[in-house]
Amino acid sequence: MDGGVFANLMNGFSVALQPSVLAYAFAGCVIGTLVGMLPGLGPLAGISLLLPATFGLNPIVAIVLLAGVYYGAMYGGSTTSILMRIPGEAASVMTCIDGYAMTQRGRAGPALAIAAIGSFVAGTLSVVALMFLAPTLASFALRFGPPEYTGLLLMGLFVLAYMSGGSMLKTLAMAAVGLLLGMIGIDAMSGYTRFSYGVIELADGIGIVPVAVGLFGLSEILLTAGQQTPPAIQRPTLRQLIPSLEEMKLAIGPISRGSVIGFLIGIIPGSAHIISSFVAYGIERRMSKHPERFGRGAIEGVAGPESANNAAATGAFVPMLALGIPTGPITAVMLAAIMVHGISPGPMLITQQPDLFWGFVASMYVGNVVLLVLNLPLVGLFVNLLRIPYSYLYPAILCFCILGVYSVSNSVVDVWIMLGMGAFGYVLRKTGFEPAPIALGLILSPMLELSVRQSLAMSGGSYGIFFDRPIAITMFVGAGVLILLGLKPLLFKSKDWREKVGLEDHV
Amino acid sequence: MSGTGIQPIGGTARGLRSDVVAGLVLMVIASVVGWQNRAYPVGNLAEPGPGYMPLMIAAALGVFGLLIALRARTSPLFNAVDWSEGRRGIVMLIACAVAVFALERIGYRLSMIALLVFMLGVVERKRATPTLIVAFGFSFLSYYLFASLLKVQLPRGPWGL
Repeated sequence: MDGGVFANLMNGFSVALQPSVLAYAFAGCVIGTLVGMLPGLGPLAGISLLLPATFGLNPIVAIVLLAGVYYGAMYGGSTTSILMRIPGEAASVMTCIDGYAMTQRGRAGPALAIAAIGSFVAGTLSVVALMFLAPTLASFALRFGPPEYTGLLLMGLFVLAYMSGGSMLKTLAMAAVGLLLGMIGIDAMSGYTRFSYGVIELADGIGIVPVAVGLFGLSEILLTAGQQTPPAIQRPTLRQLIPSLEEMKLAIGPISRGSVIGFLIGIIPGSAHIISSFVAYGIERRMSKHPERFGRGAIEGVAGPESANNAAATGAFVPMLALGIPTGPITAVMLAAIMVHGISPGPMLITQQPDLFWGFVASMYVGNVVLLVLNLPLVGLFVNLLRIPYSYLYPAILCFCILGVYSVSNSVVDVWIMLGMGAFGYVLRKTGFEPAPIALGLILSPMLELSVRQSLAMSGGSYGIFFDRPIAITMFVGAGVLILLGLKPLLFKSKDWREKVGLEDHV
Repeated sequence: MSGTGIQPIGGTARGLRSDVVAGLVLMVIASVVGWQNRAYPVGNLAEPGPGYMPLMIAAALGVFGLLIALRARTSPLFNAVDWSEGRRGIVMLIACAVAVFALERIGYRLSMIALLVFMLGVVERKRATPTLIVAFGFSFLSYYLFASLLKVQLPRGPWGL
């Protein structure tokens, strides 16, 4: 790294504090908070829908806006979880348990405050870690060739399968479906157009946005439409937000642990922000001297998961920025936003586009402050949105889905794909399959195919190339270990860690 | 956030398991992809062709499908899956499909107005005034925001609408 981290960061702040960038960071945080609060619109759907609007912006502003939506949604999801027991997005599920119990005990204000403070601390600590780790990882990744990338991508898929809450087999099957979807379109190495059946638009392949909006946005609407209007909402005043000294003391440990756990889980592929909140909750319950308090309004049950999911949101940017590899659909859409501007993600991004990288890092500090300032005093204002009956809200969200997907490439075919994926996602969720691996498989598919075929071409057709090189073999061994760990509950009748933290149904 | 629609059913109940159906569907998908993949050269290991990876992944999908079906013993009964909101979902999807078909023919604003009027007026049985206010308000406001301010290209219909 040239110039040292501090000098680079100062350069980043000079970009992030430009009025236009600051304004977009602010707008992103507000939109994200609203998106996070609305059931049926998670951070992924929110980012996907906003993607076309970023095409006309410069790449720094585009990524700052989308990142603001991402962590704004993380904050927003906690508000509805605590006040109404409605997780605006999946990562807030664990916050519902103790957050809503606190609301019922008249402690909604401190629960919201601790969630916001925990998110702020975790977000800030994670940005510090990102700042040091991403450039180091990027320099290391320059040693990667096709076999190493193959190992990394395969290991990523196995990590996803092992870490996901559902069955490992089902997750791998869904990832395979995603990989197959990624095969549609022109083959980069031979020029063959595959599985397009004469549809010209399919020659370019299937984009992540229609698949993501269909699987996550539309399928959620299909599941939740027809639900009754949410119950009455508490609106704590600013004074009621202040936690007691005892609550602050109890929250310090969970916030610190949640930050570390969340960041580490965030780096690995999968729905990290969701998993991290489950793991953090399980750990806090296990470490507590009074685990019986959990589920009845324990502040640690809010502080841990909220800190973890925000730290994971930042951790997910490490492989995205350092390696150009998305760890999930959200980072994939953000990579698409950068690539639209002709910037190639990968290990060279940090050195070739320092303004983009350091401006983005600095904007994350700014975004965390904006969210803290925004969320606590304005919580009463934001919850007014939830007064809109869902029967009015979901048709509008449906129209937004069509608008957002169409706008990406002005293609009706994309909207048809979204409708198909919405129906598919609905059936999957009804039958206990998780749709997230499809989106990840779709994104990783072209990279995986290219690296496998290049590796085989390099070795003259020998699979031995994957086991000759130290970095590659480490990753393959890692993948093998995960398969064995996944098989363990089959061979021994013990509970594995996922069951212990509440992610039932393994293998 | 909704959960799955599966009702927990004990492992002793007899009948078709949901994972058997899911596993079979996955195997059918894998077979179809494998069959369609005949059109593309698989090549050899030293020079894998465009058909190589789809074949490998389809084979893996088939194996996963088989294992899911074989391990279906503990999964819930297929009949226990709650599809109660399915009818409404199908109506919504058909309405969206009609709107998408109309999108480039009658323009963004008219097709969204029609979709919202149908969803609010017919599906949700809302009164005419709020339905029309939301339908027209959303269509024109979102068009102004995206097409006019953010310069996103949205289709126009007759009379420039």
